Amino acid sequence: MTQVTESTISFPYKRSLGPVIGAFLTGLAQQRILGIRCGERVLCPPLEWDPETGVDLVPEDLVEVGPAGTVTSWNWVSAPTEQHPLHHPFAFALIRLDGADTTLVHVVDAESIDAMATGMRVAPRWKEGRTGHITDISAFVPGEQSVAAAGAGPEEPVTMMDYNASITYRTPITENTERAERATEDGWFLGLRCPICGRTYTGGKGYCPIDTIELKVTDEVELPQTGVVTNYTIITPIQYPGQTETDPFARVHVLLDGFDVVMGYQVLIEVPNDEVRIGLRVSAVWASEGEKGAVSGWTDSNLVGWIPTGEPDVDDPTLVNRIN
Amino acid sequence: MAIRNQDDIAIIGWDVSPMERHTAKTETQMLLEVVTGAVGDAGITRAEVDFTCAGSCDYVAGQAFSFVQNTDAIGAWPPKRDSHVEMDGAWALYEAWVRLLLGDIDVAVAMGSGRSSTADPALIYPMEMDPFYLAPLGADHVSLAALQARALLDRGLVTERQMAEIAVRTRRDALGNPYAQIRGEFDIDDLLGADYVTAPLRRHDLPPITDGACAIVIARGDRARQLSENPIWITGFAHVSELHYPGMRDLCTSHATRTAAKAAGLDESPVQVAELQASFTHEEPLLVQALGLGPDAAVNPSGGPLAANPIMATGLIRVIEAARAIREGRARRSVGHASSGPCLQQNLVCVLEGNE
Repeated sequence: MTQVTESTISFPYKRSLGPVIGAFLTGLAQQRILGIRCGERVLCPPLEWDPETGVDLVPEDLVEVGPAGTVTSWNWVSAPTEQHPLHHPFAFALIRLDGADTTLVHVVDAESIDAMATGMRVAPRWKEGRTGHITDISAFVPGEQSVAAAGAGPEEPVTMMDYNASITYRTPITENTERAERATEDGWFLGLRCPICGRTYTGGKGYCPIDTIELKVTDEVELPQTGVVTNYTIITPIQYPGQTETDPFARVHVLLDGFDVVMGYQVLIEVPNDEVRIGLRVSAVWASEGEKGAVSGWTDSNLVGWIPTGEPDVDDPTLVNRIN
Repeated sequence: MAIRNQDDIAIIGWDVSPMERHTAKTETQMLLEVVTGAVGDAGITRAEVDFTCAGSCDYVAGQAFSFVQNTDAIGAWPPKRDSHVEMDGAWALYEAWVRLLLGDIDVAVAMGSGRSSTADPALIYPMEMDPFYLAPLGADHVSLAALQARALLDRGLVTERQMAEIAVRTRRDALGNPYAQIRGEFDIDDLLGADYVTAPLRRHDLPPITDGACAIVIARGDRARQLSENPIWITGFAHVSELHYPGMRDLCTSHATRTAAKAAGLDESPVQVAELQASFTHEEPLLVQALGLGPDAAVNPSGGPLAANPIMATGLIRVIEAARAIREGRARRSVGHASSGPCLQQNLVCVLEGNE
């Protein structure tokens, strides 16, 4: 059974709206629906340009439409997703608002699929706490009567819009990656050596990108746990989500002894930032049994970091070029 | 048959990965295998490839700049000119074709890859929709397709029974396709007896969720003839986009498809095979009409996207299957079609012809 790793990525966007969409969403906050004149037609929702000619459409051409309209197509969503505005069965619909020549995509809160039909009349049900957002209309409801909501909405024209989505991914872990991770849990580094070019890769890489062949269990080698610092950076942390460091810290690149393998962005321990240097001899430090799982770092490995061996520095001016 | 000259470009090799509901492979691994397969099919090595272009999607991969590690599949040495489109691989092929038209290089590889099993496509798709009017409603691709299906049904351009017939036909055709994920003999009335997923669409009207990848090799005139005994010539290639917002379009036709087909010269003579990115059953009659296909054209004999739908590769696989039909002697002239965006917003038409 393939193992999977689960991660949730959130997408917290702030979007600027511009003069046309901003005016439309400001209208929604005021419980008014605006279309925009475009030649002989009225487009709702309003676009910023004439779809036929590309000519700019301007806020002066905005006109109020609806509030009621006619459903020209619909589908019944029996199992809403977390991103849908309603959390019980509903219809998405194309709604031609009175006075408009195009249709608005929105939702209809109907009792059941049997209450839906092409050609039916619907009107907006406004949301309380409107912010200038397409969901300021909580839904359209069957009939001619819109359902007003309390509150005046924002006092100033709306210029920005929040959009938040998140997606959870369940990503399979390849066998090579799993075996490499198990090695670091057990306190050693697993390498995969290409049988053609001899280059060795860490992290359970599944293939040699030079010879474009799959790397297999038979290509595994145990890597040394000592090496030399080839390059480094001192990072002054900014407090983005997930950043636990507060003071400037070092990350170093370590060229392993006897192998053409550089481990990048490694933790260096017990060395003040102003003493980090190229040529420093280092050795891997692993969490003891009791510390396992408590190691902070970039991966789930039990590697605590690298510590100076006390050997003399390596004097090689080409080392600095080895970052991979 | 027109005499082919040095400026003509031909397909000379391809490969398609297994189509699976869940792959244990990374996108890079899938690509590595199909690129190896495609250059092998063309009888060349990666070193002979001058340009590569990949189509994939970060939202599907769940990783920013996921295409960067996918370039490992191309081979890191010798270095190559490389590009990427956040589009189906069919558009990567288009870019590779345009690149070869410049005339300074001879061989290109285009590829497409997607592993849509790792998250819920209904949550991913809204991310590519209009960010003000559609994405905040969670407007998912199946719902938007269903709105188009209802428009066609209401206009009498298709019936639910015809839609089920399309599913039955493509699943049966897929029996002959070793790459297909959904195949078999099904009864129309059984399918019509099933509940709606989102009315008016039932399960059989929807494509499966598929992990997969494909790659294709193209070459210019003399080089194509030198490398291949049966180069498959790209005689017309065009793509056209129309308005994104479905409420601004007539959903009962596909202006973009018709325009692209005209630009690609599809109507100059009949095709025997048409591989269409009709991801939902109701899209097939709409596309057949917009492409002006005659009754003699076999539509999606591979089973099409209803049999296997690896997002970001589905469109390029249509071109590959259209080429395969020529290689296997099932067609003298064929067409591959790819689509992108809600309700067939953007459409690509690639017309192919064999040597004789």
